[in-house]
Amino acid sequence: MGATALTTTLVDNVRARRWRAFDPQLFLYMGLLIALGVVMGYSAGYAEAGASAGMSQTVKTLIWAAIGLIIFFVAASVDYHWLQTLTLPIYLAVLGLLTLTMFVGTNLFGAQMSITVAGLDFQFSEVSKVLMVAVLASFLAGRRERIGKLSTLLGAAVLMAIPTFLVFRQPDLGTALVFVAILIGMLFMSGASIGWMGIFAGATVAIAPLAVQSLADYQRQRLFCFLDPSADPQGACYQLIQALNAVGSGGLFGQGLTAGRQNQLGFLPVQSTDFIFTVVAEELGFIGSAIVLIIFGLLIWRILAIGWGARDALGMMMAVGLASMLLFQIMVNVGMVIGIMPVTGIPLPFITYGGSSLISLMFGMGILQSVRMHARKPTF
Amino acid sequence: MADLNEGRLDLPRSRARFVAFAVAAALVFSVLGARLFHLQVVSGDEYAAQATRARTVELPISAPRGLIFDRDGRPLAVNVPSWTVKVRPADLPETGTSRILRRISQLTGVDPRVLRARIDAFQGSPYDLVPIERGIAREAALIIGEEADQLPGVVVEVDPIRRYLDDRGRPVGRLLSHVLGYTGPVNLDEFRELADEGYLRDDIIGRAGVEATFEEALRGTYGAELWERDASGRAVKSLRTLDEAVPGKNLMLTLDARMQRVATDALRWGMKAVGVEQGVTIVMNPQNGEILAMVSLPAYDNNQFAGGISAEDYAVYLNDPAKPLRNHAIADIYPPGSTFKLVTGLAALEEGVTTAGRQWPTYGCFQIPGAPRGQCLYDWNRQGFGPLSMVDAFAKSSDTFFYQMAIALGIDAFGQWAQELGFGERSGIALPGEAAGIVASREWARSQGRENVFTGELAQAGIGQNVVAVTPLQLLNAYAALANGGRLMRPMVVRGETDADGTLVTEYEPELIRRLAADRQNLQTMRIGARTVITSGHAYNIRDLRLRGALSGKTGTAEFGTRQRNGTLPFHSWFVAYLPSSAGATDADLAVVTFSYSAVVPGNVSLEVVKYFLQEWYDLDQDLRLDPRDFSLVTAN
Repeated sequence: MGATALTTTLVDNVRARRWRAFDPQLFLYMGLLIALGVVMGYSAGYAEAGASAGMSQTVKTLIWAAIGLIIFFVAASVDYHWLQTLTLPIYLAVLGLLTLTMFVGTNLFGAQMSITVAGLDFQFSEVSKVLMVAVLASFLAGRRERIGKLSTLLGAAVLMAIPTFLVFRQPDLGTALVFVAILIGMLFMSGASIGWMGIFAGATVAIAPLAVQSLADYQRQRLFCFLDPSADPQGACYQLIQALNAVGSGGLFGQGLTAGRQNQLGFLPVQSTDFIFTVVAEELGFIGSAIVLIIFGLLIWRILAIGWGARDALGMMMAVGLASMLLFQIMVNVGMVIGIMPVTGIPLPFITYGGSSLISLMFGMGILQSVRMHARKPTF
Repeated sequence: MADLNEGRLDLPRSRARFVAFAVAAALVFSVLGARLFHLQVVSGDEYAAQATRARTVELPISAPRGLIFDRDGRPLAVNVPSWTVKVRPADLPETGTSRILRRISQLTGVDPRVLRARIDAFQGSPYDLVPIERGIAREAALIIGEEADQLPGVVVEVDPIRRYLDDRGRPVGRLLSHVLGYTGPVNLDEFRELADEGYLRDDIIGRAGVEATFEEALRGTYGAELWERDASGRAVKSLRTLDEAVPGKNLMLTLDARMQRVATDALRWGMKAVGVEQGVTIVMNPQNGEILAMVSLPAYDNNQFAGGISAEDYAVYLNDPAKPLRNHAIADIYPPGSTFKLVTGLAALEEGVTTAGRQWPTYGCFQIPGAPRGQCLYDWNRQGFGPLSMVDAFAKSSDTFFYQMAIALGIDAFGQWAQELGFGERSGIALPGEAAGIVASREWARSQGRENVFTGELAQAGIGQNVVAVTPLQLLNAYAALANGGRLMRPMVVRGETDADGTLVTEYEPELIRRLAADRQNLQTMRIGARTVITSGHAYNIRDLRLRGALSGKTGTAEFGTRQRNGTLPFHSWFVAYLPSSAGATDADLAVVTFSYSAVVPGNVSLEVVKYFLQEWYDLDQDLRLDPRDFSLVTAN
């Protein structure tokens, strides 16, 4: 696909009234979540250093969102099949960037997770999640005739294992788990053998204790806090206890934006990132957090609908891959904040502050719009 | 782009798996929603309460310390705002603390190592503010404020600090330091003990004098305030007051600061005249035991202590052989010499050893009964006085007369009457550090491994030497009891409580220790004796003072220590007196004692000091003070 062809396609797409198929709901839910992220990020930043700092973070988020919007529309406009063409370069890029991050990354909360480009921190692990969905979608779509075979399952697993290992070593347990969730979700939805998957699941459970052993002490302690937060209230479980207090303090209606005492007094150490949902819960109450969950639910519903209506396996796999990723991240992030999931560093999609995460997700949503707009045969 | 025309033919989609995924998603959202509902709506209040508990902290509100006034309402101890440099250890940078301390050192003049030691010695929570230097200059405070950015963890707060004033309202602490005492920071050991009583780690506490004995009243009751704190433990917002602080009580001393000034000046003059290093003057109202002046020289500057005294300054006080930190009026005991003849004389009359009219022979040297021939005790007058009655013996201060009295009394009766007059026991004055004194007794002999005292010891005790040691206050109080007709009063330094302006609102009652078990007639005899001391006895020209009453009293000297090159011993000199309206009357409202330690110049400097004091206090246009070279005109004894 040369440059001319690309331009032609773009023009063709714009002209071809494919935009009638543009999914406004998907766009709306995405927009609402991003807006909420901006507002909650402002409130959390306000707590950390007063209104001016809150504003600068907000401005950064808005700039990221603007960039993301361009990427979204470009991705939406272009036929998503370029992903299939570029699968191998994408995969190699993912591996290369993750390896690079491991060696030259900035130290953030004890883990090497980002590379600073032009003053903006860029977390490749965030980008790699969406890219790995594309890689896996392309792989599974290509093996659609042998989908039930063990070789397919093993191939997908190996494909995913390498980046998973790389992020795990960073150490970024959260992203590694997201990779595994994407793999499982996509294998399941692709029609892989339930039997083989069950065997693998069993094997995973069997070696899980070994994986836990290989974690750093602080990771392991945080991991088990949710079972009994009072085990170490001043140490590893401190965050969780404060988060539960914050969520509970929100009550039905919440304490109001920038008025959450737990948030504003700094009792939530990483409130603008992993614990952003505690701010939502404390300041907007049960009603606010339920609305956020409903928007997430609707978003996933729309993504599944797009996947169901996709024209081909690649489109469908993209959709279910992104749905798996989002569902898992929501489940673990919100679950962690409300004490039913272990504490791992997994961001809440669209809402957790972070440019790379936001741009990757908007890129993913753009691809889904492309899938949606290419769902049916173009009418000439 | 061949696929474009293939439609959905390659689609491996499974309705069952889509449904399963959707169900799983719905399940996840339901569980999350249900848990949120439980946390926020069902147990929301519980979590909110728990969050509030974890987020709030009760902080004390300190009560302003009570003021102290003199009996005329002059302020003597007040609170003034002072700049205190404080450090919050948690906010000090890991590197750069020594730079910060060096800068504070430049501004305050305190060695950085001392500052560091104060931080290390504090041992509270790292979020507590540690006061490292109090009472810094205003300019230094302003500079530290301006450099706040370069001095993280350092704050300057305005704290009340104690300031002690003299009779003219000047910040001169020395005038009354031994009575007022001082306040100082609570140290770690004290804090551990006092924390339950509400003391704070950076609190101050009364350390000496009235500041210490009336600590509870002066301190008041601290209140409590509920504060919201942030995650680092810093209090950020006051939520509400839980208990109001109750200010400390303001006290009025029985002392008259102006009289204290006059008494101090007189004592200082006398001490300087004869080169004496330590001296005491106490003035009391014999009727109720109120102390009107209490001077112990050398004194110390309690204002130095109020701001936190430096180790060097403190060492200067500690190493001074004249012990300026001790209140010699109550904390040290000395042989009373002839002034103690009051005890021996009164006891002899009471026990029937003699009568007022009976005359006893006196000697140049009194042969101790039962001792080998030639072992005699000298009279200060080596010629003897011939036969003397009690009044004359007291007036002339005959030693051999009182040897005979003491020996005739025996150790038990002697000791009992000494006790009756308040010797050998603390007077109970409301000042810390009072000594009880020593009176010869069988117990004392037994503590020396003997059955009884030697007769010679008993005889010498009868003239206030050897096994007798008293505080100046005890001696004054005994004479005050004589002066008031036989009531031994508890000496008092605090008259009552005042309002903020120094007006007395609650008056403390004078307290009777005991009514002396002595006959009125015998007391009268001793009072006549004390008057005769002035009129014809030892006190020489003091009788010429045109006082409004009949000054009565007794001189005393007490030899001690090692013999000088000229063969004489250094001696303490005493003069104790009271001023009734007429000879023998019991209406004296002023009694005074002066004690001077270790004079080598002949004569009784204490008498001269009292003379000077009376001249000045009663504003007499007489100056009967002897030239120091002529002190020997007055027989020392």
